[in-house]
Amino acid sequence: MTRARMRKLESVGALALCSLAAFAGLFWLVFILGDVLVHGIKALHLHLFFKDPVPPGMQGGGLRNAFVGQLLITFAATIIGVPMGILGGTFLAEYARGKWMARIISVLSDIMVSVPSIVIGTFIYALMVRPFGHFNGWAGAVALAIIMVPVVVRTTESMLTLVPWTLREAAFALGAPYYKVITQVVYRGAAAGILTGVLLSIARVAGETAPLLFTSFNNNFFSTDMNGPIASLTVTIFQYAMGPYEDWHRQAWAASFIIALFILVITIIGRTIVKMRYDKG
Amino acid sequence: MKIEMETRGLNFYYVGGVHALKDVTLPIYKNSVTALIGPSGCGKTTLLRCFNRMHDLYPGNRYEGEIIFEGTNILSNDIDLIELRSRIGMVFQKPTPFPMSIFDNVAYGLRLNGVKKKPDLAERVELALRQAALWQEVKDKLLESAYALSGGQQQRLVIARALAVEPDVILFDEPTSALDPISTAKIEELLEQLKKSVTIIIVTHNLQQAARVSDRTGFLMLGELIEFDATEAMFTAPNVKLTVDYVTGRFG
Repeated sequence: MTRARMRKLESVGALALCSLAAFAGLFWLVFILGDVLVHGIKALHLHLFFKDPVPPGMQGGGLRNAFVGQLLITFAATIIGVPMGILGGTFLAEYARGKWMARIISVLSDIMVSVPSIVIGTFIYALMVRPFGHFNGWAGAVALAIIMVPVVVRTTESMLTLVPWTLREAAFALGAPYYKVITQVVYRGAAAGILTGVLLSIARVAGETAPLLFTSFNNNFFSTDMNGPIASLTVTIFQYAMGPYEDWHRQAWAASFIIALFILVITIIGRTIVKMRYDKG
Repeated sequence: MKIEMETRGLNFYYVGGVHALKDVTLPIYKNSVTALIGPSGCGKTTLLRCFNRMHDLYPGNRYEGEIIFEGTNILSNDIDLIELRSRIGMVFQKPTPFPMSIFDNVAYGLRLNGVKKKPDLAERVELALRQAALWQEVKDKLLESAYALSGGQQQRLVIARALAVEPDVILFDEPTSALDPISTAKIEELLEQLKKSVTIIIVTHNLQQAARVSDRTGFLMLGELIEFDATEAMFTAPNVKLTVDYVTGRFG
């Protein structure tokens, strides 16, 4: 066999292995998403959004309580977590740039990103549920916010670092104080990237169940009271999927579909913003 | 001729102790163009960045000696850097438009200085853009992003931005090295115009450019000011052997 032929064979072999691996990964992804899609769309019904749950075992009802609760918790988490994350990232990239402290915090943030969310849930349980004696929505929001913070910190930090240093010098050279350089020039330059980080962090927590189980728990009735237990889609999916009723399973499928769709849309928006930014140059 | 700024026995040490400027004494004459030339690493940009204390952005850098501006030593600790930098503008090697509209770019320094009223801003933005010979090209797209301009236009935009606050001195750090020849010619013409109202210090790698645009030239090597004289004398009859070698291209 000639050398060239041998190389060709090797190339074909490597290509086949890579394709196989990619296919194996994609297969499960498509399987899961396809399953959610098929079952979810079948179960979609307007009642899902506008009716509250009926007593267990009865037909009908919806998940209005869970949709509203999920939105409330996610919104509150965003309000708490995003400013902390952006300010933290700003501190790392600007005021503490190059200092050992910044490097340590960056590494800790990276570790925080991969801490199991259930650990954060139990942590907040000890801090915000036990002392009050009951589950509450705020605890859930804080748990999700804690998961968001490191994501936002790291994206903000890296986006700010990407802004050329000469741009800051140019602003300094006009006599701008540092806080104005950051808020008026650097943030503008990094705005698209930071926004993407925020969106991706929302997408990250929108699918979380474990931290909510220990904090906001669940509520079968419609409630907007963040001081008491409050329903969320993810915990409801967990509860309904485990339950014995066919109707619950149906609604869990629908809720899974909606939440997957929500995360998909947010991720697409995030990616599009990044793409637009780089297309502009 | 009146002296606008003057360094006296200026020494500069980068963080880590590198002695980048050695006992530099150099007068900068008002309403003229002073060029700083020399081989790479000679300290010309370092010297330029002393005039608006840009080095203060990085902790650990240290000055010794004096830079006199309007009778005070601007290297002293009680100098307000924000005020100093609004009096002494700077233009960098690569254009540095801010990520905002053309108008907002030019208005940036004005707003920092407390100019808030729309008509005042509009008037001074237009004036600055006219001075920078950019008005005709951008007057119909003031609200568009500054990033949409070409490199040469961006460089004139940041010159307009520096001019808008009516500084006494503008520092140019190789302002044309990233530009094409036509844009370069425009900027050089502009310098000729600008020196009527401001004092200009320019660092350049390009000896022809120094000969074309400057009235006086300082030649630096290894952190020392080797020779300083009227540009014509520097390029035709320098006194120091090193200067002769450099301007005739024997090293560089």
